[in-house]
Amino acid sequence: MGREPDGSGRIEVSGLTKRFGTVEAVRGLSFAVEPGAVTGFLGPNGSGKTTTLRAILGLVAPTAGSALVEGAPYAELTGPARVVGAVLEAQGAHPARTARRHLQVCASAVGAPEQRVDEVLALVGLIDAADRAAGGYSLGMAQRLALATALLGDPRILVLDEPGNGLDPQGIAWLREFLRGFAHSGRSVLVSSHQLAEIAQTADRLVVISGGTCVYQGPADGLHGRPAVRVRCSDPVRLAEALAARGVLEIDHVADGGLAVAADAVLVGDTALAAGVALYGLVEERADLEAMFLRLTGGGVA
Amino acid sequence: MTTDLLPTAGVLRAEALKALSVRTWWALAIPVGLLAVMVNLFGGLFSSAVAGVGDGLPGILLASLAYALSLTTVFAALHGVVLATAEFRHRTATTTYLLAGRVPTLLAKAAVAAGVGAAYALLAIVLGLLAGLLGQGAAPLPSVGGIVMLSVVGIVVAALWAVLGVALGTVLVNQAGAVVVLLVYVFAAENLVSLILRSGTEEGSAPSAIARLTSFLPANAGDIALYDLPARELGGRFASSIVEGLAGVAGPPPAWGALLVLLVWTGAGLAVAWVVGGRRDVT
Ligand SMILES: Nc1ncnc2c1ncn2[C@@H]1O[C@H](COP(=O)(O)OP(=O)(O)O)[C@@H](O)[C@H]1O
Ligand SMILES: [Mg+2]
Repeated sequence: MGREPDGSGRIEVSGLTKRFGTVEAVRGLSFAVEPGAVTGFLGPNGSGKTTTLRAILGLVAPTAGSALVEGAPYAELTGPARVVGAVLEAQGAHPARTARRHLQVCASAVGAPEQRVDEVLALVGLIDAADRAAGGYSLGMAQRLALATALLGDPRILVLDEPGNGLDPQGIAWLREFLRGFAHSGRSVLVSSHQLAEIAQTADRLVVISGGTCVYQGPADGLHGRPAVRVRCSDPVRLAEALAARGVLEIDHVADGGLAVAADAVLVGDTALAAGVALYGLVEERADLEAMFLRLTGGGVA
Repeated sequence: MTTDLLPTAGVLRAEALKALSVRTWWALAIPVGLLAVMVNLFGGLFSSAVAGVGDGLPGILLASLAYALSLTTVFAALHGVVLATAEFRHRTATTTYLLAGRVPTLLAKAAVAAGVGAAYALLAIVLGLLAGLLGQGAAPLPSVGGIVMLSVVGIVVAALWAVLGVALGTVLVNQAGAVVVLLVYVFAAENLVSLILRSGTEEGSAPSAIARLTSFLPANAGDIALYDLPARELGGRFASSIVEGLAGVAGPPPAWGALLVLLVWTGAGLAVAWVVGGRRDVT
Protein backbone atom coordinates (compact mmCIF):
# COMPACT_ATOMS: atom_id res chain seq x y z
CA MET A 1 0.00 0.00 0.00
CA GLY A 2 3.00 2.30 0.50
CA ARG A 3 4.13 4.64 -2.22
CA GLU A 4 6.82 3.50 -4.57
CA PRO A 5 9.81 5.85 -4.53
CA ASP A 6 10.33 7.43 -7.95
CA GLY A 7 14.06 6.62 -8.04
CA SER A 8 15.00 10.23 -8.71
CA GLY A 9 17.20 10.66 -5.65
CA ARG A 10 15.53 14.03 -5.07
CA ILE A 11 14.31 15.69 -1.91
CA GLU A 12 11.81 18.47 -2.30
CA VAL A 13 10.93 20.77 0.54
CA SER A 14 8.18 23.25 -0.22
CA GLY A 15 6.75 25.91 2.01
CA LEU A 16 7.80 23.94 5.08
CA THR A 17 6.72 25.50 8.35
CA LYS A 18 7.06 23.92 11.78
CA ARG A 19 5.89 25.41 15.04
CA PHE A 20 6.66 23.90 18.44
CA GLY A 21 4.09 25.63 20.61
CA THR A 22 4.95 29.28 20.16
CA VAL A 23 8.40 28.66 18.71
CA GLU A 24 8.45 28.87 14.93
CA ALA A 25 11.42 26.66 14.18
CA VAL A 26 11.03 26.71 10.38
CA ARG A 27 9.14 29.28 8.29
CA GLY A 28 8.08 28.72 4.71
CA LEU A 29 11.27 26.96 3.69
CA SER A 30 11.61 25.67 0.14
CA PHE A 31 14.55 23.97 -1.50
CA ALA A 32 15.42 20.88 -3.47
CA VAL A 33 18.23 18.37 -3.21
CA GLU A 34 19.44 16.91 -6.48
CA PRO A 35 21.49 13.80 -7.17
CA GLY A 36 25.14 14.00 -8.15
CA ALA A 37 25.98 16.76 -5.71
CA VAL A 38 26.55 17.45 -2.05
CA THR A 39 24.03 19.97 -0.80
CA GLY A 40 25.25 21.80 2.26
CA PHE A 41 22.58 22.95 4.69
CA LEU A 42 24.07 25.79 6.61
CA GLY A 43 22.81 27.93 9.44
CA PRO A 44 23.66 29.06 12.95
CA ASN A 45 22.59 27.05 15.98
CA GLY A 46 18.84 27.13 16.48
CA SER A 47 18.14 28.17 12.89
CA GLY A 48 15.96 25.11 12.21
CA LYS A 49 18.31 22.68 10.46
CA THR A 50 17.57 19.69 12.64
CA THR A 51 13.84 20.37 12.53
CA THR A 52 13.94 20.53 8.71
CA LEU A 53 15.92 17.31 8.38
CA ARG A 54 13.61 15.52 10.81
CA ALA A 55 10.60 16.76 8.86
CA ILE A 56 12.15 15.33 5.68
CA LEU A 57 12.51 12.00 7.49
CA GLY A 58 8.95 11.91 8.83
CA LEU A 59 10.06 12.27 12.44
CA VAL A 60 8.49 15.71 12.81
CA ALA A 61 5.09 16.50 11.32
CA PRO A 62 5.09 19.79 9.36
CA THR A 63 2.71 22.49 10.60
CA ALA A 64 2.37 23.57 6.96
CA GLY A 65 4.00 22.74 3.66
CA SER A 66 5.61 19.46 2.76
CA ALA A 67 8.86 17.58 2.53
CA LEU A 68 8.93 14.86 -0.10
CA VAL A 69 11.56 12.22 -0.66
CA GLU A 70 11.50 10.73 -4.14
CA GLY A 71 7.98 12.04 -4.56
CA ALA A 72 6.40 10.88 -1.31
CA PRO A 73 6.48 11.70 2.38
CA TYR A 74 9.17 9.53 4.00
CA ALA A 75 6.69 7.66 6.18
CA GLU A 76 4.75 6.53 3.11
CA LEU A 77 7.72 5.20 1.14
CA THR A 78 7.97 1.49 0.65
CA GLY A 79 11.43 0.31 1.66
CA PRO A 80 12.59 3.73 2.92
CA ALA A 81 16.00 2.41 4.00
CA ARG A 82 16.82 1.69 0.36
CA VAL A 83 15.97 5.29 -0.51
CA VAL A 84 17.42 7.36 2.31
CA GLY A 85 20.04 6.77 4.95
CA ALA A 86 20.13 9.23 7.82
CA VAL A 87 22.68 10.20 10.42
CA LEU A 88 20.98 12.40 12.99
CA GLU A 89 22.20 13.86 16.24
CA ALA A 90 20.16 12.06 18.86
CA GLN A 91 20.60 8.70 17.26
CA GLY A 92 22.37 5.76 18.64
CA ALA A 93 22.64 2.14 19.53
CA HIS A 94 21.58 0.56 22.79
CA PRO A 95 24.65 1.08 25.02
CA ALA A 96 24.85 -2.58 25.97
CA ARG A 97 24.85 -3.81 22.39
CA THR A 98 27.96 -4.25 20.27
CA ALA A 99 28.16 -2.38 17.00
CA ARG A 100 27.93 -5.64 15.10
CA ARG A 101 24.86 -6.75 17.02
CA HIS A 102 23.24 -3.36 16.52
CA LEU A 103 23.88 -3.55 12.79
CA GLN A 104 22.59 -7.12 12.61
CA VAL A 105 19.35 -6.05 14.26
CA CYS A 106 19.03 -3.05 11.94
CA ALA A 107 19.88 -5.15 8.87
CA SER A 108 17.09 -7.52 9.81
CA ALA A 109 14.67 -4.63 10.18
CA VAL A 110 15.42 -3.29 6.69
CA GLY A 111 15.69 -6.69 5.07
CA ALA A 112 19.39 -6.33 4.23
CA PRO A 113 21.47 -9.51 4.00
CA GLU A 114 23.78 -10.42 6.90
CA GLN A 115 26.97 -9.85 4.92
CA ARG A 116 25.96 -6.22 4.45
CA VAL A 117 26.89 -5.72 8.13
CA ASP A 118 30.55 -6.46 7.44
CA GLU A 119 30.46 -4.35 4.30
CA VAL A 120 29.24 -1.24 6.09
CA LEU A 121 31.58 -1.82 9.04
CA ALA A 122 34.43 -1.82 6.54
CA LEU A 123 33.05 1.21 4.71
CA VAL A 124 33.16 3.35 7.84
CA GLY A 125 36.37 1.82 9.22
CA LEU A 126 34.82 0.28 12.31
CA ILE A 127 35.82 -3.37 11.83
CA ASP A 128 38.27 -3.39 14.73
CA ALA A 129 35.78 -1.96 17.22
CA ALA A 130 32.80 -3.92 15.93
CA ASP A 131 32.59 -6.26 18.89
CA ARG A 132 32.76 -3.64 21.62
CA ALA A 133 29.65 -2.35 23.39
CA ALA A 134 28.42 0.83 21.75
CA GLY A 135 28.05 2.47 25.17
CA GLY A 136 31.83 2.79 25.36
CA TYR A 137 32.23 4.46 21.98
CA SER A 138 33.66 7.92 21.52
CA LEU A 139 31.48 10.47 19.79
CA GLY A 140 33.41 9.95 16.58
CA MET A 141 32.93 6.18 16.67
CA ALA A 142 29.24 6.63 17.42
CA GLN A 143 29.03 8.86 14.33
CA ARG A 144 30.70 6.18 12.22
CA LEU A 145 28.29 3.58 13.57
CA ALA A 146 25.34 5.82 12.77
CA LEU A 147 26.71 6.24 9.24
CA ALA A 148 27.16 2.47 8.92
CA THR A 149 23.54 2.03 9.98
CA ALA A 150 22.43 4.58 7.40
CA LEU A 151 24.31 2.72 4.67
CA LEU A 152 22.78 -0.71 5.41
CA GLY A 153 20.03 -0.32 2.82
CA ASP A 154 22.50 0.99 0.18
CA PRO A 155 20.42 4.17 -0.15
CA ARG A 156 20.33 6.68 -3.02
CA ILE A 157 20.21 9.63 -0.64
CA LEU A 158 22.19 10.40 2.50
CA VAL A 159 20.96 12.94 5.05
CA LEU A 160 23.40 13.95 7.77
CA ASP A 161 22.84 16.38 10.64
CA GLU A 162 26.08 18.02 11.79
CA PRO A 163 28.12 14.85 11.22
CA GLY A 164 31.35 16.71 11.95
CA ASN A 165 30.48 16.98 15.64
CA GLY A 166 32.83 14.78 17.60
CA LEU A 167 35.01 13.86 14.64
CA ASP A 168 38.71 14.64 14.79
CA PRO A 169 40.31 16.44 11.82
CA GLN A 170 41.21 13.12 10.15
CA GLY A 171 37.66 11.95 10.69
CA ILE A 172 36.30 15.11 9.09
CA ALA A 173 38.64 14.78 6.13
CA TRP A 174 37.65 11.14 5.74
CA LEU A 175 33.95 12.00 5.90
CA ARG A 176 34.40 14.77 3.33
CA GLU A 177 35.97 12.35 0.87
CA PHE A 178 33.32 9.78 1.60
CA LEU A 179 30.45 12.18 0.98
CA ARG A 180 32.00 13.58 -2.19
CA GLY A 181 32.55 10.08 -3.50
CA PHE A 182 28.99 9.13 -2.63
CA ALA A 183 27.55 12.18 -4.39
CA HIS A 184 29.76 11.89 -7.42
CA SER A 185 28.63 8.33 -7.97
CA GLY A 186 25.31 9.94 -8.91
CA ARG A 187 23.63 9.88 -5.53
CA SER A 188 22.44 12.70 -3.29
CA VAL A 189 23.84 14.10 -0.09
CA LEU A 190 22.21 16.64 2.20
CA VAL A 191 24.52 17.57 5.05
CA SER A 192 23.96 20.23 7.68
CA SER A 193 26.46 22.27 9.60
CA HIS A 194 26.65 25.45 11.62
CA GLN A 195 30.23 25.94 10.57
CA LEU A 196 30.85 27.26 7.13
CA ALA A 197 34.49 26.17 7.12
CA GLU A 198 33.48 22.58 7.70
CA ILE A 199 31.14 22.42 4.78
CA ALA A 200 32.63 24.89 2.30
CA GLN A 201 35.03 22.33 0.86
CA THR A 202 32.47 19.54 0.74
CA ALA A 203 29.34 21.11 -0.67
CA ASP A 204 28.61 21.78 -4.32
CA ARG A 205 25.40 23.57 -3.51
CA LEU A 206 24.43 25.50 -0.42
CA VAL A 207 21.15 26.19 1.29
CA VAL A 208 21.71 28.78 4.00
CA ILE A 209 19.03 29.35 6.62
CA SER A 210 18.69 31.79 9.43
CA GLY A 211 15.79 32.03 11.85
CA GLY A 212 13.99 29.24 10.00
CA THR A 213 13.99 30.92 6.59
CA CYS A 214 16.20 30.55 3.58
CA VAL A 215 18.67 33.38 3.05
CA TYR A 216 20.69 31.90 0.21
CA GLN A 217 20.52 28.94 -2.06
CA GLY A 218 22.60 28.19 -5.06
CA PRO A 219 26.05 27.02 -6.03
CA ALA A 220 28.55 27.00 -3.18
CA ASP A 221 30.96 29.16 -5.15
CA GLY A 222 28.13 31.57 -5.90
CA LEU A 223 28.34 32.61 -2.30
CA HIS A 224 31.97 33.69 -2.42
CA GLY A 225 32.69 33.80 -6.14
CA ARG A 226 31.16 37.23 -6.64
CA PRO A 227 33.86 39.86 -7.00
CA ALA A 228 33.34 43.10 -5.17
CA VAL A 229 35.06 46.37 -5.96
CA ARG A 230 35.14 49.42 -3.73
CA VAL A 231 35.39 52.66 -5.65
CA ARG A 232 36.04 56.22 -4.60
CA CYS A 233 35.33 58.62 -7.46
CA SER A 234 34.35 62.15 -8.43
CA ASP A 235 30.71 61.33 -9.27
CA PRO A 236 29.27 58.15 -7.74
CA VAL A 237 25.79 58.72 -9.18
CA ARG A 238 27.04 59.05 -12.76
CA LEU A 239 29.29 56.02 -12.39
CA ALA A 240 26.42 53.98 -10.98
CA GLU A 241 24.25 54.95 -13.97
CA ALA A 242 26.99 54.10 -16.42
CA LEU A 243 27.56 50.72 -14.75
CA ALA A 244 23.84 50.01 -14.76
CA ALA A 245 23.77 50.75 -18.48
CA ARG A 246 26.36 48.01 -18.89
CA GLY A 247 24.23 45.57 -16.94
CA VAL A 248 25.94 45.83 -13.57
CA LEU A 249 23.08 46.21 -11.17
CA GLU A 250 24.49 45.18 -7.80
CA ILE A 251 25.77 48.53 -6.63
CA ASP A 252 25.70 49.78 -3.05
CA HIS A 253 26.39 53.33 -1.94
CA VAL A 254 28.71 53.04 1.03
CA ALA A 255 29.20 55.38 3.97
CA ASP A 256 32.28 57.31 2.75
CA GLY A 257 30.46 58.40 -0.40
CA GLY A 258 31.95 55.64 -2.51
CA LEU A 259 30.42 52.61 -4.21
CA ALA A 260 30.61 48.88 -3.65
CA VAL A 261 30.17 47.20 -7.00
CA ALA A 262 29.69 43.52 -7.71
CA ALA A 263 31.81 43.50 -10.85
CA ASP A 264 35.35 43.04 -11.87
CA ALA A 265 37.84 45.94 -11.40
CA VAL A 266 38.73 46.23 -15.10
CA LEU A 267 35.09 46.69 -16.06
CA VAL A 268 34.60 49.35 -13.39
CA GLY A 269 37.75 51.25 -14.48
CA ASP A 270 36.81 51.17 -18.16
CA THR A 271 33.28 52.27 -17.43
CA ALA A 272 34.51 55.17 -15.31
CA LEU A 273 36.87 56.30 -18.08
CA ALA A 274 34.12 56.14 -20.71
CA ALA A 275 31.75 58.04 -18.46
CA GLY A 276 34.31 60.70 -17.65
CA VAL A 277 34.33 59.98 -13.94
CA ALA A 278 37.62 60.38 -12.13
CA LEU A 279 38.70 57.46 -9.95
CA TYR A 280 40.46 58.18 -6.66
CA GLY A 281 40.59 54.65 -5.39
CA LEU A 282 39.78 51.19 -6.65
CA VAL A 283 40.06 48.23 -4.25
CA GLU A 284 39.22 44.75 -5.37
CA GLU A 285 38.05 42.47 -2.61
CA ARG A 286 36.79 38.96 -2.82
CA ALA A 287 33.93 38.84 -0.34
CA ASP A 288 35.21 36.61 2.37
CA LEU A 289 33.00 33.56 2.67
CA GLU A 290 32.81 33.72 6.42
CA ALA A 291 31.88 37.41 6.30
CA MET A 292 29.19 36.67 3.74
CA PHE A 293 27.79 33.92 5.92
CA LEU A 294 27.77 36.22 8.92
CA ARG A 295 26.01 38.90 6.91
CA LEU A 296 23.42 36.47 5.54
CA THR A 297 22.65 34.97 8.91
CA GLY A 298 22.56 38.23 10.78
CA GLY A 299 25.82 37.64 12.57
CA GLY A 300 24.26 35.32 15.08
CA VAL A 301 26.73 32.50 14.73
CA ALA A 302 27.64 30.52 17.79
CA MET B 1 1.97 7.83 8.58
CA THR B 2 3.21 4.64 7.08
CA THR B 3 0.85 2.68 4.96
CA ASP B 4 2.82 -0.54 5.20
CA LEU B 5 1.39 -1.28 8.57
CA LEU B 6 2.21 -4.89 9.33
CA PRO B 7 5.75 -5.57 10.44
CA THR B 8 7.80 -7.70 8.06
CA ALA B 9 9.36 -10.90 9.35
CA GLY B 10 12.63 -8.98 9.49
CA VAL B 11 11.16 -6.25 11.68
CA LEU B 12 9.64 -8.87 13.99
CA ARG B 13 12.97 -10.63 14.20
CA ALA B 14 14.76 -7.34 14.89
CA GLU B 15 12.38 -6.53 17.74
CA ALA B 16 12.73 -10.03 19.18
CA LEU B 17 16.53 -9.79 19.04
CA LYS B 18 16.40 -6.40 20.75
CA ALA B 19 14.10 -7.67 23.50
CA LEU B 20 16.13 -10.80 24.19
CA SER B 21 19.56 -9.18 24.03
CA VAL B 22 18.97 -7.04 27.12
CA ARG B 23 18.60 -8.12 30.74
CA THR B 24 15.04 -6.96 31.25
CA TRP B 25 13.24 -10.11 30.22
CA TRP B 26 15.06 -12.46 32.52
CA ALA B 27 15.37 -9.90 35.31
CA LEU B 28 11.57 -9.84 35.37
CA ALA B 29 11.32 -13.62 34.96
CA ILE B 30 13.06 -14.07 38.33
CA PRO B 31 10.30 -12.52 40.47
CA VAL B 32 7.71 -14.30 38.32
CA GLY B 33 9.30 -17.66 39.18
CA LEU B 34 9.87 -16.80 42.84
CA LEU B 35 6.33 -15.59 43.38
CA ALA B 36 4.88 -18.64 41.63
CA VAL B 37 6.91 -20.92 43.91
CA MET B 38 6.05 -19.04 47.11
CA VAL B 39 2.36 -18.65 46.42
CA ASN B 40 1.92 -22.31 45.60
CA LEU B 41 4.26 -23.66 48.24
CA PHE B 42 2.12 -21.93 50.82
CA GLY B 43 -1.21 -22.57 49.21
CA GLY B 44 -2.65 -23.16 52.65
CA LEU B 45 -1.78 -19.61 53.54
CA PHE B 46 -3.67 -18.51 50.51
CA SER B 47 -6.72 -20.56 51.34
CA SER B 48 -6.85 -19.11 54.85
CA ALA B 49 -6.80 -15.67 53.28
CA VAL B 50 -10.00 -16.53 51.44
CA ALA B 51 -12.58 -16.73 54.15
CA GLY B 52 -15.10 -19.55 53.94
CA VAL B 53 -13.07 -21.75 51.64
CA GLY B 54 -12.04 -25.00 53.20
CA ASP B 55 -8.84 -26.97 52.71
CA GLY B 56 -8.84 -30.28 51.02
CA LEU B 57 -10.67 -29.25 47.88
CA PRO B 58 -9.06 -29.87 44.46
CA GLY B 59 -9.60 -26.20 43.66
CA ILE B 60 -7.02 -24.97 46.17
CA LEU B 61 -4.01 -25.62 43.98
CA LEU B 62 -5.81 -24.17 40.97
CA ALA B 63 -6.71 -21.08 42.99
CA SER B 64 -3.16 -20.49 44.15
CA LEU B 65 -1.95 -21.03 40.58
CA ALA B 66 -4.48 -18.47 39.41
CA TYR B 67 -3.24 -16.04 42.06
CA ALA B 68 0.36 -16.57 40.88
CA LEU B 69 -0.77 -15.97 37.29
CA SER B 70 -2.54 -12.79 38.33
CA LEU B 71 0.74 -11.49 39.77
CA THR B 72 2.56 -12.70 36.64
CA THR B 73 0.44 -10.50 34.40
CA VAL B 74 1.86 -7.43 36.16
CA PHE B 75 5.38 -8.48 35.25
CA ALA B 76 4.31 -9.19 31.69
CA ALA B 77 2.93 -5.65 31.53
CA LEU B 78 6.09 -4.24 33.10
CA HIS B 79 8.18 -5.95 30.45
CA GLY B 80 5.97 -4.44 27.75
CA VAL B 81 6.37 -0.98 29.26
CA VAL B 82 10.14 -1.30 29.46
CA LEU B 83 10.34 -2.68 25.92
CA ALA B 84 8.45 0.30 24.49
CA THR B 85 10.09 3.03 26.56
CA ALA B 86 13.67 1.75 26.21
CA GLU B 87 13.73 3.20 22.69
CA PHE B 88 13.22 6.67 24.08
CA ARG B 89 15.39 6.20 27.13
CA HIS B 90 18.35 5.16 25.00
CA ARG B 91 17.46 7.51 22.16
CA THR B 92 17.16 4.68 19.67
CA ALA B 93 13.61 5.55 18.62
CA THR B 94 14.86 7.68 15.73
CA THR B 95 16.80 4.80 14.19
CA THR B 96 14.03 2.31 14.82
CA TYR B 97 11.33 4.52 13.31
CA LEU B 98 13.49 5.39 10.31
CA LEU B 99 14.27 1.77 9.55
CA ALA B 100 11.01 0.04 10.39
CA GLY B 101 8.27 2.69 10.50
CA ARG B 102 6.18 3.61 13.52
CA VAL B 103 3.17 1.34 13.20
CA PRO B 104 5.12 -1.78 12.24
CA THR B 105 7.41 -1.10 15.21
CA LEU B 106 4.45 -0.79 17.58
CA LEU B 107 2.88 -3.99 16.30
CA ALA B 108 6.16 -5.90 16.33
CA LYS B 109 6.85 -4.82 19.89
CA ALA B 110 3.33 -5.84 20.88
CA ALA B 111 3.88 -9.27 19.34
CA VAL B 112 7.25 -9.76 21.01
CA ALA B 113 5.93 -8.58 24.38
CA ALA B 114 2.95 -10.90 24.05
CA GLY B 115 5.36 -13.78 23.47
CA VAL B 116 7.43 -12.91 26.52
CA GLY B 117 4.26 -12.44 28.61
CA ALA B 118 3.03 -15.87 27.50
CA ALA B 119 6.40 -17.35 28.44
CA TYR B 120 6.13 -15.77 31.91
CA ALA B 121 2.72 -17.37 32.36
CA LEU B 122 4.10 -20.73 31.29
CA LEU B 123 6.99 -20.36 33.73
CA ALA B 124 4.57 -19.50 36.55
CA ILE B 125 2.44 -22.56 35.76
CA VAL B 126 5.33 -25.01 35.61
CA LEU B 127 7.10 -23.73 38.74
CA GLY B 128 3.81 -23.14 40.55
CA LEU B 129 2.64 -26.65 39.83
CA LEU B 130 5.91 -28.19 41.03
CA ALA B 131 5.89 -26.08 44.19
CA GLY B 132 2.22 -26.82 44.75
CA LEU B 133 2.78 -30.54 44.52
CA LEU B 134 5.60 -30.26 47.03
CA GLY B 135 3.91 -27.89 49.43
CA GLN B 136 0.34 -29.06 49.25
CA GLY B 137 1.02 -32.74 48.86
CA ALA B 138 -1.97 -33.66 50.97
CA ALA B 139 -4.44 -31.68 48.88
CA PRO B 140 -6.29 -33.51 46.09
CA LEU B 141 -4.86 -32.81 42.65
CA PRO B 142 -6.80 -30.78 40.13
CA SER B 143 -7.68 -32.48 36.87
CA VAL B 144 -5.30 -32.24 33.94
CA GLY B 145 -8.09 -30.60 31.97
CA GLY B 146 -8.44 -27.93 34.65
CA ILE B 147 -4.72 -27.20 34.65
CA VAL B 148 -4.58 -26.96 30.87
CA MET B 149 -7.61 -24.68 30.83
CA LEU B 150 -6.16 -22.38 33.48
CA SER B 151 -2.82 -22.33 31.64
CA VAL B 152 -4.47 -21.23 28.42
CA VAL B 153 -6.36 -18.46 30.21
CA GLY B 154 -3.20 -17.41 32.08
CA ILE B 155 -1.17 -17.26 28.87
CA VAL B 156 -3.82 -15.18 27.12
CA VAL B 157 -4.22 -12.75 30.04
CA ALA B 158 -0.45 -12.31 30.44
CA ALA B 159 -0.02 -11.76 26.68
CA LEU B 160 -2.80 -9.17 26.60
CA TRP B 161 -1.35 -7.31 29.59
CA ALA B 162 2.06 -7.31 27.92
CA VAL B 163 0.51 -5.63 24.88
CA LEU B 164 -1.23 -3.12 27.16
CA GLY B 165 2.19 -2.41 28.66
CA VAL B 166 3.65 -1.72 25.21
CA ALA B 167 0.74 0.61 24.48
CA LEU B 168 1.18 2.45 27.78
CA GLY B 169 4.92 2.81 27.23
CA THR B 170 4.43 4.06 23.68
CA VAL B 171 1.98 6.71 24.85
CA LEU B 172 3.89 7.89 27.93
CA VAL B 173 7.46 7.45 26.56
CA ASN B 174 9.04 8.22 29.94
CA GLN B 175 10.17 4.87 31.36
CA ALA B 176 10.05 5.61 35.08
CA GLY B 177 6.78 7.47 34.68
CA ALA B 178 5.13 4.64 32.75
CA VAL B 179 6.29 2.02 35.28
CA VAL B 180 4.89 4.07 38.16
CA VAL B 181 1.61 4.68 36.35
CA LEU B 182 1.24 0.95 35.66
CA LEU B 183 1.96 -0.13 39.24
CA VAL B 184 -0.17 2.56 40.84
CA TYR B 185 -3.02 1.70 38.52
CA VAL B 186 -2.89 -2.06 39.01
CA PHE B 187 -2.25 -2.09 42.74
CA ALA B 188 -4.10 1.01 43.93
CA ALA B 189 -6.13 3.02 41.45
CA GLU B 190 -8.25 0.23 40.05
CA ASN B 191 -9.00 -1.15 43.54
CA LEU B 192 -10.02 2.30 44.69
CA VAL B 193 -12.28 2.79 41.69
CA SER B 194 -13.80 -0.65 42.28
CA LEU B 195 -14.42 0.22 45.92
CA ILE B 196 -16.19 3.42 44.96
CA LEU B 197 -18.26 1.69 42.28
CA ARG B 198 -19.35 -1.00 44.74
CA SER B 199 -20.02 1.38 47.60
CA GLY B 200 -23.63 1.94 46.60
CA THR B 201 -24.49 -1.75 46.88
CA GLU B 202 -25.54 -3.31 50.21
CA GLU B 203 -23.82 -6.51 51.28
CA GLY B 204 -25.92 -9.47 50.15
CA SER B 205 -28.22 -7.56 47.82
CA ALA B 206 -28.06 -7.77 44.04
CA PRO B 207 -25.27 -5.54 42.66
CA SER B 208 -26.31 -2.28 41.02
CA ALA B 209 -25.47 -1.53 37.41
CA ILE B 210 -22.73 0.78 38.64
CA ALA B 211 -21.25 -1.89 40.88
CA ARG B 212 -21.25 -4.29 37.92
CA LEU B 213 -18.94 -1.89 36.10
CA THR B 214 -16.13 -3.19 38.31
CA SER B 215 -15.95 -6.28 36.10
CA PHE B 216 -15.20 -4.13 33.11
CA LEU B 217 -11.96 -2.68 34.45
CA PRO B 218 -8.92 -4.31 32.82
CA ALA B 219 -7.11 -5.74 35.86
CA ASN B 220 -10.37 -7.00 37.32
CA ALA B 221 -11.33 -8.56 34.02
CA GLY B 222 -8.04 -10.47 33.92
CA ASP B 223 -8.56 -11.67 37.49
CA ILE B 224 -12.12 -12.77 36.78
CA ALA B 225 -10.94 -14.83 33.83
CA LEU B 226 -8.23 -16.42 35.98
CA TYR B 227 -10.35 -17.11 39.08
CA ASP B 228 -13.43 -18.38 37.25
CA LEU B 229 -12.28 -21.98 36.91
CA PRO B 230 -10.77 -22.44 40.40
CA ALA B 231 -13.84 -20.80 41.92
CA ARG B 232 -16.11 -23.29 40.20
CA GLU B 233 -13.99 -26.18 41.48
CA LEU B 234 -13.97 -24.70 44.97
CA GLY B 235 -17.41 -23.31 45.40
CA GLY B 236 -19.81 -24.97 42.99
CA ARG B 237 -22.88 -22.80 43.06
CA PHE B 238 -21.06 -20.20 45.18
CA ALA B 239 -18.43 -19.84 42.47
CA SER B 240 -19.62 -16.40 41.50
CA SER B 241 -19.25 -14.99 45.00
CA ILE B 242 -15.80 -16.53 45.33
CA VAL B 243 -14.76 -14.74 42.14
CA GLU B 244 -16.32 -11.56 43.53
CA GLY B 245 -14.23 -11.91 46.67
CA LEU B 246 -10.98 -12.75 44.89
CA ALA B 247 -11.22 -10.22 42.09
CA GLY B 248 -12.96 -7.51 44.08
CA VAL B 249 -15.86 -7.15 41.66
CA ALA B 250 -19.63 -7.42 41.69
CA GLY B 251 -21.67 -9.64 39.38
CA PRO B 252 -18.75 -11.05 37.34
CA PRO B 253 -19.31 -12.28 33.78
CA PRO B 254 -18.05 -15.77 32.83
CA ALA B 255 -14.37 -16.25 31.99
CA TRP B 256 -14.83 -15.84 28.25
CA GLY B 257 -16.73 -12.59 28.81
CA ALA B 258 -13.96 -11.28 31.04
CA LEU B 259 -11.34 -12.23 28.43
CA LEU B 260 -13.35 -10.34 25.84
CA VAL B 261 -13.39 -7.26 28.10
CA LEU B 262 -9.61 -7.43 28.48
CA LEU B 263 -9.23 -7.93 24.73
CA VAL B 264 -11.25 -4.77 24.08
CA TRP B 265 -9.10 -2.81 26.53
CA THR B 266 -5.99 -4.10 24.81
CA GLY B 267 -7.32 -3.13 21.39
CA ALA B 268 -8.23 0.31 22.68
CA GLY B 269 -4.78 0.72 24.23
CA LEU B 270 -3.10 -0.23 20.94
CA ALA B 271 -5.34 2.18 19.03
CA VAL B 272 -4.41 5.07 21.34
CA ALA B 273 -0.72 4.16 21.06
CA TRP B 274 -1.10 3.99 17.27
CA VAL B 275 -2.56 7.49 17.08
CA VAL B 276 -0.45 9.19 19.76
CA GLY B 277 2.77 7.40 18.81
CA GLY B 278 2.12 7.96 15.12
CA ARG B 279 1.78 11.71 15.50
CA ARG B 280 4.44 12.40 18.06
CA ASP B 281 7.36 14.55 16.98
CA VAL B 282 10.55 12.63 17.60
CA THR B 283 13.15 15.31 18.25
N1 LIG C 1 10.91 19.62 20.33
C1 LIG C 1 11.02 20.95 20.36
N2 LIG C 1 10.22 21.67 21.17
C2 LIG C 1 10.31 23.01 21.22
N3 LIG C 1 11.16 23.75 20.51
C3 LIG C 1 12.00 23.10 19.68
C4 LIG C 1 11.98 21.67 19.57
N4 LIG C 1 12.92 21.30 18.67
C5 LIG C 1 13.50 22.45 18.25
N5 LIG C 1 12.96 23.53 18.85
C6 LIG C 1 13.32 24.94 18.62
O1 LIG C 1 13.28 25.18 17.24
C7 LIG C 1 14.36 26.02 16.84
C8 LIG C 1 15.17 25.34 15.78
O2 LIG C 1 15.84 24.24 16.37
P1 LIG C 1 16.71 23.22 15.52
O3 LIG C 1 15.92 22.76 14.36
O4 LIG C 1 17.21 22.18 16.46
O5 LIG C 1 17.90 24.14 15.01
P2 LIG C 1 19.37 23.75 14.54
O6 LIG C 1 19.40 22.30 14.26
O7 LIG C 1 19.60 24.59 13.34
O8 LIG C 1 20.28 24.11 15.66
C9 LIG C 1 15.12 26.34 18.11
O9 LIG C 1 14.66 27.59 18.58
C10 LIG C 1 14.74 25.24 19.04
O10 LIG C 1 14.79 25.69 20.37
MG1 LIG D 1 20.66 20.89 15.07
